[in-house]
Amino acid sequence: MIRDITIGQYYPGYSLVHRLDTRLKIILTFGYMVSIFLAADFLAYLLVFIGLAVVIAKSQVPLRFILRGLRPIFIIIAFTFVLNLFMTQGEVLVTLGPLHITQAGLYNACYMALRIIFLIIGCSLLTFTTKPVKLTDGIEALLKPFVRFGVPAHELAMMMTIALRFIPTLLEETDKIMKAQQARGADFETGSIFRRAKNMVPIFIPLIVGAFRMAADLAMAMEARCYRGGEGRTKMHEFRFGRKDTAAAAVFVVYLLLIVAERAVHAQAWLLATL
Amino acid sequence: MPISVAHLTHVYNKGLAYETSAVKDVSFEIADGEFVCIVGHTGSGKSTLVQHLNGLLKPTSGTVSVGGVDVTAKSTSVIEVRKKIGMVFQYPEHQLFEETVFKDIAFGPSNLGLPEEEQAERVREAMALVSLPFDAFAERSPFELSGGQKRRAAIAGVLAMRPEVLILDEPTAGLDPKSHDDVLALVTGIREKTGCTIVLVSHNMEDVARLADRVFVMSGGEIVKAGTPEEVFLDGAFLEGIGLALPQARAFAEKLSQNGAAIEAGRVLTREALVDAVAGLGARR
Repeated sequence: MIRDITIGQYYPGYSLVHRLDTRLKIILTFGYMVSIFLAADFLAYLLVFIGLAVVIAKSQVPLRFILRGLRPIFIIIAFTFVLNLFMTQGEVLVTLGPLHITQAGLYNACYMALRIIFLIIGCSLLTFTTKPVKLTDGIEALLKPFVRFGVPAHELAMMMTIALRFIPTLLEETDKIMKAQQARGADFETGSIFRRAKNMVPIFIPLIVGAFRMAADLAMAMEARCYRGGEGRTKMHEFRFGRKDTAAAAVFVVYLLLIVAERAVHAQAWLLATL
Repeated sequence: MPISVAHLTHVYNKGLAYETSAVKDVSFEIADGEFVCIVGHTGSGKSTLVQHLNGLLKPTSGTVSVGGVDVTAKSTSVIEVRKKIGMVFQYPEHQLFEETVFKDIAFGPSNLGLPEEEQAERVREAMALVSLPFDAFAERSPFELSGGQKRRAAIAGVLAMRPEVLILDEPTAGLDPKSHDDVLALVTGIREKTGCTIVLVSHNMEDVARLADRVFVMSGGEIVKAGTPEEVFLDGAFLEGIGLALPQARAFAEKLSQNGAAIEAGRVLTREALVDAVAGLGARR
């Protein structure tokens, strides 16, 4: 199950999308999310879909890998779909006992479900094509202008890097502690849900104690090497905004303009209809 | 309790790009009451191998049977297996979690569903085996003990299961010399008092030479040598080739004999034997 969660994973590659400037990728991802919320009808969604398809094709990340990332949130999508399907007032299409499916309901259900799918895939494409370290570097670079307003950009990025670094370590530690307690006869697989939750205590306490120990060790090791934050620190990999980045930005601006124009037309049509 | 392992293979991440075989076609027998040491450099498959002995890992292929019971069979009750085979992991103190030493040691017995009086009795017995005075330590938090005490408390937690086979994975790693000797002394003490079979994974050749009835040398997931300490430590060059070394006393005796001293280096494995051999030289002169 844990292996199924591809959101946040990196898919190694050397495609155009992989090589884009990380700062631009982060901004474009945000821009893309905004565009999803701007899209007011299915014609706009067609544009959103085409945009996504182009990026997926260019990123060379297998479609199967991307779709696997949707699996863990399938329940949320299904829930949104069903809720919208039955809970929207309007012209009734089908009646199933006490439940009615309305035309507006069907429309809303598809609309909201698609919105979630676009959002998730759009965000995961960022992490699929960007190494975690680069991603945190990118966030640091983008937050830099806000340092003068008291935003601790470097510290935030360092915290993220450390958190990512410790995920595999903590998984390994969990595995070890589980085995040690199983060797003492602990049972994690049977019993009621409350029983199982209670059985987790012998794992969580050593795990938390261990996490504090590792954090203290790491802090000591960093101080021993004179770590003092981001001031005057240089980077091994500098960001370079190249020609391909300008091109990607230009394409995105055109895409965003199309979405906005479509929305304007949509709003005008709606206005004319209501007047 | 005799242990028998036949053609044991374990592959991690089978079918994925980073598939690795940690243990390859390993077979051996351990007799009841035997003291076996497993040596090998880091990543040679020792830990993976011993985790099969009480069913924590399932083999990719091959069989493991303990006391005539097939550990790997689906029908075998896991709790029965773990009752008989105690396993002390590396840094066992990292598994401590209860409020008091007493409760932590009683965790195993309570999982076995034993009545409270029996649990208390077992805790007393286990604490005596690891020389932690019951009255002084039972009600203290395990987290406020010293490193060596924590480790002994953790080992007591395994002993309270009254295992018939005790597996210890580098039980002395990271301890000071005094605690190191204490832990090994308690291992030999447990063996004398309970007569249980012991499997010890170790990097310390001195300990191995001193304690083992038999030694298995692992490299690249295979047992490349097995025999008494005398037999295994005969070929120093071979051991160095796979990232191990001779016990210091043995290496020292070898140097002496190369320089013309009348010492039968192959029989000198421990410090005591070396002292005797050197004293013998002096007496002869």
